[in-house]
Formats: sequence, C-alpha cells, structure tokens
Amino acid sequence: MRRAIAITALIGAAGGLCWLFPLFHVVSLKRALAEKSARIFDAAQFSDVFWSEKLLPSIDKAVPAEKLLPAIRADPAAAKTNYARSLGMGDSYIYFLRGAGKVISISGDEISVGVSENATNAEIVLETGLIFGNTLRDGTGLLSASDYPDSQDFNDIASALNKIVGQRVLPKLRETKVGAKISFAGCAEVDDESADLHPLHVVPIQAEVQ
Amino acid sequence: MKTNPFKLALIVCLTAAAILFTHSSSAQSAPKGKIAVVVSTLNNPWFVVLGEAAKARAIELGYDATIFDSQNDTAKEAANFENIIASGYKAIVFNPTDANGSIANVRKAKDAGIPVFCIDREINSTNAAVAQMLSDNYSGCVKLGQYFVKQVGENGKYAELLGIVGDNNTWNRSKGFHSVVDNYPGLKMVAQQSAEFDRAKALEVMESILQANPDLTAVFCGNDAMAMGAYQALVAAGKEKQVKVFGFDGADDVVKLIAEGKITATGMQFPKLMARTAAEYADEYIQGKRDFNQKIPVKVDLVTKDNVGKYGDYGKK
Repeated sequence: MRRAIAITALIGAAGGLCWLFPLFHVVSLKRALAEKSARIFDAAQFSDVFWSEKLLPSIDKAVPAEKLLPAIRADPAAAKTNYARSLGMGDSYIYFLRGAGKVISISGDEISVGVSENATNAEIVLETGLIFGNTLRDGTGLLSASDYPDSQDFNDIASALNKIVGQRVLPKLRETKVGAKISFAGCAEVDDESADLHPLHVVPIQAEVQ
Repeated sequence: MKTNPFKLALIVCLTAAAILFTHSSSAQSAPKGKIAVVVSTLNNPWFVVLGEAAKARAIELGYDATIFDSQNDTAKEAANFENIIASGYKAIVFNPTDANGSIANVRKAKDAGIPVFCIDREINSTNAAVAQMLSDNYSGCVKLGQYFVKQVGENGKYAELLGIVGDNNTWNRSKGFHSVVDNYPGLKMVAQQSAEFDRAKALEVMESILQANPDLTAVFCGNDAMAMGAYQALVAAGKEKQVKVFGFDGADDVVKLIAEGKITATGMQFPKLMARTAAEYADEYIQGKRDFNQKIPVKVDLVTKDNVGKYGDYGKK
C-alpha cells in the first residue's frame, strides 16, 4: 500500500514538473513549415525585383522639390505633416522627393544642386559616397516592418537596396560636372526637429545628367 | 456541543463583512484586472528598468501588475506563461527570451484570449502578438559604425563582443555595425566572440582577447553590460586609454562613463518609452481597440561626448 502511494506521488510529482517545465512543444507541421520557409529569404533577389517593379515606378508619386523646398522654408513643421513619412516611435522622418536643377558644386561625396531658378546656394545635396542605413527602404512607404516576421530579413533589404544604389546610380552620378543640368529622385532622412534642412541631403534612387 | 444562535449569526456577519471588505479593497486597488510583465532576465539593470516601467504604467492605468523573470530560459518562460494563463491575467507585456522559441508561448496566450505585446526583443511571427515595439537596432548600429570609423580611423585592430547568438537583436546590431565598418579594409576584426549580453562574461572574454591582441584599438559591444565588462578588463590591463569602447543600450553607468570620456559611445534605446507604450496598448486593447501595427520600430539615438548632456535615466532628459 505504502509503495503504491509512493509510486503515485512520484508519478504525480514528475507530471507536475513536466507541466511546469515542458520538455517539448507540439507545433503543427503546417505552422513549422510556414515558419521555416519564412526564414529562407533572399534579400538581394527580392530587392532587385522590388527596385525595378515597385521602387522606380513609384517615383512619379514623390513630392516635387519645387513644391517641397518652399514649403520647408515657409513652415518646416507643416511641411513635415504634409509631405514626410514618420518612422515608428521617434522624431526622425523621411521625404521622398524628385526634381531637377543645376549642379552648383561638387566636393568629396556630395553634389550640390540648385533647384530654384537662378539659385546660387545648394538647396539639395545628392549623396555619392557609401550609402548606409534604412533611408531608401523606409522612405517611400512601399515596405513595412510588419510584413517581415524576422527583422533581420527586413534589415537585409535595406543593405541590398543600398548596394543597388552603389552599383547602378552612383557611378554615373559621380561623373557629373559643375554647371550640368540634372534630374533626380531620392529620399532625404531628417534625424530630428533640430536638423539643418538647408540644404536637404538626398540618397539618390535615380539621377539623369543632361 | 451547544451553539449560541446569536454568536453564530455574529460570526456569519463578521465573515461576510470581511469577505466584502477584502473584495471591495482588491477591486479598488485593481478595478481593471491584472497585467503580467514577463521579462527575459532581471539579472541586467536595463531589463529591470524595462520591467519596472511597464509595471508602473500598468498600475497608473488602474491594473494590478506583476513582473515575471524568465531568467533567460525558455522553459522558465513557458512556466511563467502557464501560470499567467491559469491566473486570469488580462494582458501580457512581454520581453521574449528567444525569437523562435518564444512564439509558442505567445500563441498559447493568444489561444487563451490573452493579448501579448512584445517589447525590445521580437518574436519571429507577425500573427501571434498583438504588437511588437522594437528598437531599431540595425540603424542604431549603423550610426555607431559611422562614429566608430570617425573615432578609430580607417585603420586598426578591433574586437566585437556579441550578445546571445540565438537572439535577433544580436545580429541586427552586428549587421548594422558591419554594414559600415566592413567598407574599410584597414579596420581588421581580430576577434568576434559571444559574451551573451553579460557583464561578467564580457570581462572574461575581453581578458583573453587582450592577451592574444595586445595592440587592439577598439571594441564594439552588443550591449552596455558587455561594454562595462570590457572596460573593466581594460582598466585591469592598463589599456583603457589605448582601446576605445563602444556599447549599445544607453544604460546609466555607460552614459556616465561617456560623460567622463572613458567610454566612447553607445546607442540609446528608450526602454521606459517602449515599456510604457506597451502597457498603454494593452489597456487600449482591453478597452476594445484592435487595429495595432504589428511591428513598431523605436528610434535609437547615438550618444557621444558631444551630446551626452541630453541623455540620462534611460532616455532623453
């Protein structure tokens, strides 16, 4: 009798331990396969297709620089409300813009462009050095973190898009000369309210020198 | 035994009054129910701040709130969830231990009708938690990488202390940093080792890295606890002026050392902001709101000697 009670108590204790600290979790095969396939993600291939099929065709939706720049000069807060895309929680935001102008100066990794007629000071600076960060990925609103179960995949897209700019946009842009007429599209990230927006620093998506 | 009916009636009345008093006082202290705050570990001050901030906000909003420590152990975390589900909690503010391993726990809570709001660490699923508030680790470490190159220069030997290798934050930070630094071939990474986000382990790992690489010029650490451990090892070896230390988190002790010029930079996450927002989202969910963005990136600020005065107490002053 005592032995039976001891065995029952032992089984009970073991059961309790397993309940508290389960040795394994049963997950349906369908769910497991879905999660596994979600992890296999080729950011370079995705970004290549995204670049040609989504990003470049979206340029006509970018705000024209001749509209944005006067709006920023007049009221930066209103310009932000009307034309910028804010990112999650924080004070940074991004403008997705397009425009045309004249190359005023070139120094290091920057091409300064005047957009207004007879502009003598840089209003836009096109970045031509190494491109880092999420500005291009997040600037257009075409991609959302909420669509990616693993944020590493989403971050790999940022890196792949920056590489595409480095390979397809910047080499030709670096050949630009002072005085050339240029049309461009790109994204400008503003870190916070205190940032200097004159000129606006743009990561180019497209640039054509005439 | 004879029972006095008057005495019996008095006992019944007193018992009923005691029950009513207990019920009304507990209802007064938590009229809206209970919220659980499950934290990956309380062995790191940063996570203590995260958990306490969520708890404090939940209490401000009228809930009873309890913190559960998973001790960086998915089995312990699973037991916490079982306990929470059985105990009638209305929502869970959750800092997961493992991006994949924690999904099952969130689903279990969801199946039991308890909404889960992830903070700081994500789960690799977009349909289990109601929302996930996550520091933008990648772009935070892009900024750190750019500052690293400015401070260290384009040549030199450096080491990297990684966090927990199964955690997404570890790799998002590392990849953000390397997306910048790897463009400079003169910067040679001579060691890359995990210290599991732990100060004591970082001290040990850094000691052995220094023995093998006496000419090290910098160390990039995936969190501030490891930065503190690395700095301690450097002081012990008399190399704290030779090796620049970079952390990530915005922990108070590191912010103070940046102000003193002893640590070079960190990335300020905003644990209080994330935690408080998660508690507010939980309250909104309980009140009936359902449309939440799944993943909400939280900006990370670069903290250096130039702007350190603006930061402290795990956020912006």
